[in-house]
Amino acid sequence: MALPPDRIDYLPITDRPVIKWPNDARVALWISPNVEHYEYHPVNEGVRNPWPRTPYPDVQQFSYRDYGNRIGFWRMLEPLDKHGIRCCISLNLAVLEHFPEIAEAMMERDYDYMSHGIYNTRFLYTYTEDEEREFYRDCIETLKRHTGKPLKGMLGPAISGTVSTPDLMAEAGLIYHTDWFHDDQPTPIKVNAGKLISVPYSIELNDSSVLRDNHYSAAYFADICKAQFDQLYEEGAESGRVMCIALHPFIIGQPHRVKYLDDILAYIMAHDGVWQTTADEIADYYIENYYDEAMAHAQRLAEASGR
Amino acid sequence: MPAQRTFGMDHPHHEWSPLISRPALRWPNGAAVALCVVIPLEHMEWQAPEGSFQVARLAGGSAPRDFPDYARLSHREYGHRVGIFRLLDVLEKHGVRATIALDAMTAENYPYLVRHCLDRGCEIIAHGISVSRMISSNMSEAEERQYIQASLDAFRSATGTQPRGWFGPEYGESDRTPELLAEAGLTYVCDWANDEQPYPMTTGENPFFALPLMYELDDVVSISHKLMPVFEYEKMLGESFDVMREDGADTGRLMAINWHPWLVGQPFRIGSVDRALSHMMSQGGVWSATGSEIIDWYQQQSN
Repeated sequence: MALPPDRIDYLPITDRPVIKWPNDARVALWISPNVEHYEYHPVNEGVRNPWPRTPYPDVQQFSYRDYGNRIGFWRMLEPLDKHGIRCCISLNLAVLEHFPEIAEAMMERDYDYMSHGIYNTRFLYTYTEDEEREFYRDCIETLKRHTGKPLKGMLGPAISGTVSTPDLMAEAGLIYHTDWFHDDQPTPIKVNAGKLISVPYSIELNDSSVLRDNHYSAAYFADICKAQFDQLYEEGAESGRVMCIALHPFIIGQPHRVKYLDDILAYIMAHDGVWQTTADEIADYYIENYYDEAMAHAQRLAEASGR
Repeated sequence: MPAQRTFGMDHPHHEWSPLISRPALRWPNGAAVALCVVIPLEHMEWQAPEGSFQVARLAGGSAPRDFPDYARLSHREYGHRVGIFRLLDVLEKHGVRATIALDAMTAENYPYLVRHCLDRGCEIIAHGISVSRMISSNMSEAEERQYIQASLDAFRSATGTQPRGWFGPEYGESDRTPELLAEAGLTYVCDWANDEQPYPMTTGENPFFALPLMYELDDVVSISHKLMPVFEYEKMLGESFDVMREDGADTGRLMAINWHPWLVGQPFRIGSVDRALSHMMSQGGVWSATGSEIIDWYQQQSN
């Protein structure tokens, strides 16, 4: 059954084209810090309240997140730099306008960027198709103007979207969407025109869900990241896997947590056969080498199932 | 109906029967523990039909999100695409044959998966229509009969067999479900979490049994709802087994575990399942069996 609305055809991991990553790597590892700005006084569009705790502003929650930009981001860079990680930033694009030192630090390191919306307090749920088209135009233009890079993908702002999101992303020329959690490999997403794929991001290995929402310890976060790597590394000998670790500077950049990021990266990067890359590069490589084969195979499976 | 203050249960589905009042139960070859692994293959709908009932905390996805919640749907779909194969591989490694609970929407739309489970020798039992439509007392009797029939029809046409067992999505029942399941020709139900042995249900002419699951060992309950670290979950499985194995020397115990492939089938969790099963299966005194094998044995012992 395709994931609705007829977006992602069923392809069991046991029966699909084998993926070979560059240099026969077993695991494509991408690290995705969410560099965000949450508005001090946002507009509540009535679907999801950005600051549900108090009438606006909620200074406690606002400033907790802003800590990420003032302090946490810079601390987080230390282990990332130490291990030579080139990140794929999940970026609220307005950060480039508000905080030039952050923009400069990311550009110095030649990071890649996927859109995470303009602000993390502006969700897509209520957008008309035309508003959403304008949103992509804005994201693409803003990234190009500040970094010179073309925008290739998106994690919806605060993981929000509309029913049309994949079609409109493809129409705007984007090639990957990371709001889907159905697989350990990239997979095609069917759209009206163009090519769009899913690159596996993570809500399981995500400091926001593990450390903030679910109150686990950072030591536990490190343990599950290593366990995830071990399993995917073993399976990746047969067919390449993707592993993503999703971070937030205001969470992982806390003084008591940062050493665990160092611990995770030291463990993983000590292995051969790791392609430390970005979602941009994974998407380009997959579309170039596997997209057509995967679409054709899904079609064959569907026909063999009599549908 | 509110309880009347009289002896026994305040419902008609089974007798009051504390463990101490029962004759000793013996499993095959003197095993102390019968291990049954139930794996639900359940589909979550994009938009469930109006009037369908879901529990408030339906697991999966990120924090609660508004429509369209791609995260929740796709997180669940991970089980059907990736997790199930990883989980079945680990079970096979330890010689454990799974009891798959298959809902109608999976039966109808995932023929590859149904065939795969049949080829691997799993028992397959019925699991309602979808996880986003559970049985509840909001249904009329006619609606509930229709729901059960629709589930069984999809099951039969996908598998070519009649299921012997039933597990309601999210353990869902109305106050007449056991009777309707027995009437539909089923032999056992996994919705009741109140025992460490199978027991007969009082459903009329046809013999009908409960195959009780261990509530706290359900991965959704402990990992998704209670947020137990997976390594503690692993430890809990091992410690539960050790005590049941010891207690099972007097009268046999049933350790029936509900494992969701989208949850324990994640790469970082599967090692815990592997190690827990290794602990259980390496000690002797355990009979790994499917739901039907356990119920058949139990029925034969009780006669």
